[in-house]
Amino acid sequence: MRRKKMLLVWGIFVSLVMIPGCAPFVENNTIEDIAPVTFWSISKGEKGKIKMSTLVPPLVNEPKSLLTLDVDLLKQGGKDFNLRYYRELKVGQLRLFLIHEELAKQGIFQLINTLLTDYDVSQRMYLVIVKGNFDEYINRQAKKQENLDYYLYRMLKHYERKKQGEMTIVNLHEYKNKLFSPFSDPVLPVFTVAKDNFTYEGTAFFSNDKLIETVTSTEDQIFQLLDNDHYLKFFPIPKLDVVIGRLRSRVNVDLDKNLSLVTINVKLNGRIEEYQGNKNILNGNELMQLQKEIETELEMKTTDLIKKMQELKVDPLQIGTHTLSPFSKPISEKVWLAAWGKMKIKVNYQLYFEALQNTKNNY
Amino acid sequence: MTTFSLFDKSSKFDGIYAFFIVNRFQMLYLFFLMPTYLLHPFMIWGIVAMAIFSQLNIKLLCKWLESNYAKKGYQGFVELFGVRMVRLLTFIGLILILIKITVITLGYLEVIHDFIFPSMNSNWIIFFILLTSSYVASLGMKNTIRFVVIVFLCVFWIIFLYFPFFIPPIAALHDLYPLIPTNWTTDSWKGLLLIWSSYSGPEYLICLIPWIKPQQKMSKYLTYANALSTSEYLLLFIASLFFFGSNYLSKSKYPIIHMIRYLQSPMFERLDIILISLHMFVLVFAISIFMLCIYGATRIILKKTSTQPSRMGFAVTCIMLFLCFVIVNNWIWSIETEQNFLLNIQIWLSGITYFIVPTFLLLLTKLKGRVKA
Repeated sequence: MRRKKMLLVWGIFVSLVMIPGCAPFVENNTIEDIAPVTFWSISKGEKGKIKMSTLVPPLVNEPKSLLTLDVDLLKQGGKDFNLRYYRELKVGQLRLFLIHEELAKQGIFQLINTLLTDYDVSQRMYLVIVKGNFDEYINRQAKKQENLDYYLYRMLKHYERKKQGEMTIVNLHEYKNKLFSPFSDPVLPVFTVAKDNFTYEGTAFFSNDKLIETVTSTEDQIFQLLDNDHYLKFFPIPKLDVVIGRLRSRVNVDLDKNLSLVTINVKLNGRIEEYQGNKNILNGNELMQLQKEIETELEMKTTDLIKKMQELKVDPLQIGTHTLSPFSKPISEKVWLAAWGKMKIKVNYQLYFEALQNTKNNY
Repeated sequence: MTTFSLFDKSSKFDGIYAFFIVNRFQMLYLFFLMPTYLLHPFMIWGIVAMAIFSQLNIKLLCKWLESNYAKKGYQGFVELFGVRMVRLLTFIGLILILIKITVITLGYLEVIHDFIFPSMNSNWIIFFILLTSSYVASLGMKNTIRFVVIVFLCVFWIIFLYFPFFIPPIAALHDLYPLIPTNWTTDSWKGLLLIWSSYSGPEYLICLIPWIKPQQKMSKYLTYANALSTSEYLLLFIASLFFFGSNYLSKSKYPIIHMIRYLQSPMFERLDIILISLHMFVLVFAISIFMLCIYGATRIILKKTSTQPSRMGFAVTCIMLFLCFVIVNNWIWSIETEQNFLLNIQIWLSGITYFIVPTFLLLLTKLKGRVKA
């Protein structure tokens, strides 16, 4: 009797196992057989294809090599890399996604969608626009410098917003959120590759998913103050022979009711780091004068920058979000962009700073 | 062989257990989907309004739980309805419970399948979950109810992980605008229905009354449970508005889990995997409680209440449940359009049961009382 019962139980168990199929685990993740990838770099290939490359193996003491492919689809590239390399490449550690400028000008909506739907890809992955031949740079530099891909990631991580850097650093989630919300346009950092250098150049403005303009040097620094970091470690103004440092800004945007005028008040706190002009900055009056000059200069440059945004009909500063209020119906994106194009701008700077210390004046 | 006592009624539990059970039943699966369906910031008021209604409903339920009929357990029901009616109502209840746990299990299963084991055959996941639940249930009703404390402690603190989303730069106040309804559509009604059905759960306490101490001030504990669930809903919804913005929210099926994916700890990058696994405790608890209810209900329907529960009967229940899940999973759930259909049925049904059960029971008790007097 007992035996029969045992047999019955076993029978049930075996049939239960048989019903759903066989071994539960399909993917083999033995650590020796896989290679995590740290970056994908995408550029325009021949005949409408995308050229895709990555560096293998990451963080292992083996000579690195760059894999490059021409593919139609992003994930197809992910698959085809495996056919070229003896380990299986996994995207779980994908930290950087570098997009070539040319490709970004055509629009990157599909690429972003593909990345968003993959649950293995972290939403914190950095998106970067690259000018110049990145593959060549990697090929040359990887031999000189170990773990180059990892260091690039560390650099971006270092300058990420909370760590108060001076670069625009954007991850997938931030980009996506700005892309899909009606009152803001996304931005991405632009890096230039020239020979042995990989340099930050500025911020790229996007209209929908297309790159339309890159702002550099002074304009980019103003953008950092207005929206991105609200902080700059150094702000050189060569025209006035002055470098202001530790600049922290508080921005107050005021839209008037019928969307015809935007007033931007910026309060800056900082200190003079270097001065090579011929004013006596230890003298209160002359310091005031310098202060006024800097304010005027900044107001002019900022107005120019915002005018540029208006002409391009982009709103990376998210001024449109100020039209929202708790108790009224939001206006549509179209209405906003039309109003934005024609809006008058008034920019006010208020600068507070300490002068240089431990210095002897020339005069 | 020791006696197999699933429904040992020797020990009675305090109201605090009711608090744990009700709170976790209200935080079962549907809250994963909730932000996707609510979308607009003004739905915050929807959650608050439904919480108030739910509180009123709980008051009714408590009144019934304190009545004489409730104290007698099964006998009370028999007195109230008569044996034949009880069997019919039990049958209806059995079907409702079956639909509820099928939807919940398959819903969780989809989460596990999407986020943790995308390449695994999903039937295996059902098998492992049911195996665990059967084990928990086989320890008897008494131990299963005790298990809720572990479940609560495992899952409750997860809510605190959502606080980073309230801090800028992820959060900007304008994500919560407009706060008043500007366009009210059928989707908004559906959202309200979803909130209401998420609040359902306390009505299943009537299956557990033999194990809860009579003469307890139940309403106090249930109010706390309701309030806790409300604050959790609000927290999660507002956090997801901050994180996604109301425009993108509809594109993400499981916003609550995607938000966890964005958090990273230096130790574990895939925090979501750990947290989903912890959520499985709730699932296992719910399945095992409902499994015992199903087994008990079957015994009532088959008029076997006077006999001892048998291992065989219990095992058959487990296997039938497994087959039911597998069949629904393979033939109904996996078809995209049908899935919404099954989920919608569950949303409607649990909304209706939560609304009807307390009122109906209380009304009948009052009527009976009047007839007798």
